[in-house]
Amino acid sequence: MTTLDFIATYGPLLLSGLFATLRICFFASLIAIPLGLVVALLLRSRRAALRWIARAYVEVMRGTPILVVLFLLYYGGPSFGLVLEAEPVGILGLGLYGAGYFAEILRAGLQSIAQGQIEAARMLGIPAAHILWRIQLPQMLRLVVPPSINQIIVLIKESAALSIITVPELTKIGAQIANETFAVIQPYLAVALLYWLLIEILAALGHWLERKVRHA
Amino acid sequence: MKPEKNDKALIQVKGLRKRFGEIEVLKGIDLEVRPSEVLCIIGPSGSGKSTLLRSIAFLEAYDAGDVVFDGKLVGYRDDAGRRRLASEKELNQDRSGFGMVFQHFHLWPHLRVLANVTEALRVVKKIGSAEADRIGAEMLGKVGIAAFADKYPEQLSGGQKQRVAIARALAMKPRVMLFDEPTSALDPELVGEVLGVMKQLAQEGMTMLVVTHEMGFAAHVADTVVFMDGGKIIEKGDPGKLFAAPESDRLKQFLNTWRERSI
Repeated sequence: MTTLDFIATYGPLLLSGLFATLRICFFASLIAIPLGLVVALLLRSRRAALRWIARAYVEVMRGTPILVVLFLLYYGGPSFGLVLEAEPVGILGLGLYGAGYFAEILRAGLQSIAQGQIEAARMLGIPAAHILWRIQLPQMLRLVVPPSINQIIVLIKESAALSIITVPELTKIGAQIANETFAVIQPYLAVALLYWLLIEILAALGHWLERKVRHA
Repeated sequence: MKPEKNDKALIQVKGLRKRFGEIEVLKGIDLEVRPSEVLCIIGPSGSGKSTLLRSIAFLEAYDAGDVVFDGKLVGYRDDAGRRRLASEKELNQDRSGFGMVFQHFHLWPHLRVLANVTEALRVVKKIGSAEADRIGAEMLGKVGIAAFADKYPEQLSGGQKQRVAIARALAMKPRVMLFDEPTSALDPELVGEVLGVMKQLAQEGMTMLVVTHEMGFAAHVADTVVFMDGGKIIEKGDPGKLFAAPESDRLKQFLNTWRERSI
């Protein structure tokens, strides 16, 4: 099969895999970033019990391979009453897993802001949620954008593990084509190229965002 | 002229104790501040004077004793005889009469000077933007830096930053201003402009609690000076008497050291 034939035959299928990967990572990030922020705030809580729970969460997520998290949710979930399709499970697993990493990134960001700025706001009666939104987060951006983009890139690559629980994302599509065509090089090369393209676009977006927050 | 000082205390501190781990930083402090009184707290580093001020503002949760502002306990609530920490909302209520100025200004660097002053007006007092800006400009005018409203804090000198911090606190119409070493982080030639603003506030009758190393300010502006050492109040009184005829050896020694240094 020539490359042109290959693209004509499997191009649409590969693109559907690419969009599935994009969709999965987008929703996983929508879970991972807010949840990571909550965990980061708990890591700095005044209450030792909350700090301990948050720390345990981060350590468990960082210490467990994503595949194990996915197996636990997908095959173990039903015994806890969690019955979901493969893709939502994958999104949830990737989101929970990513939150552990985002928690550490955001904790470092929160820590970078002088405690005195927060005390000054408190003395003026500004509520904690508003302090977070107007004083801490805008100043954190500069610091957390580069590692966050990096983390999203890691999530995109980790999302390949979703193929094991049968989610038809990019890697799974590649494997499927390889099975059909008995060719290995072409499908996986195409898959690699598409991942690379996706990540390059994201990295470029990251650089643009970085410049933007630097001037803010 | 200064309004007559009322005899009823605005702030009452009773038996205040605070411990950081093994070290007891405040060992039972009793203090009263009357309306329009300017009270300066002096003493060596580590004497507990900043901790006292921060405990009054409840930036530190004190371990024992009372801080009472205008008849109400600050930072704690008594529930059926048991003391519990005030909630965030209650604490904001307790602090609403306080304005605080810090040694390191603590302006918000990503907001313009005017926005630093108006943020709490809009968020806490729910004042509309136009009116908040008007109040903000008025406060900046009061501390002599109206022209810097559109600048960012990093474009200002230390003295200017501290004056913005004072304007930010004043905008909320506090009943007491708490100053925590407001000139200690400034270059010597910038100290005067900040002390000038503070002196003007004192003359207008603002109640002020000032932790400071500026003996000249304490001597000329304060109504009462408190000397702290080792977590206790060692001596307290009229500045004329306290500086001219200190009673305790610790204060004599402290003043001598200070005079030798300032030659």
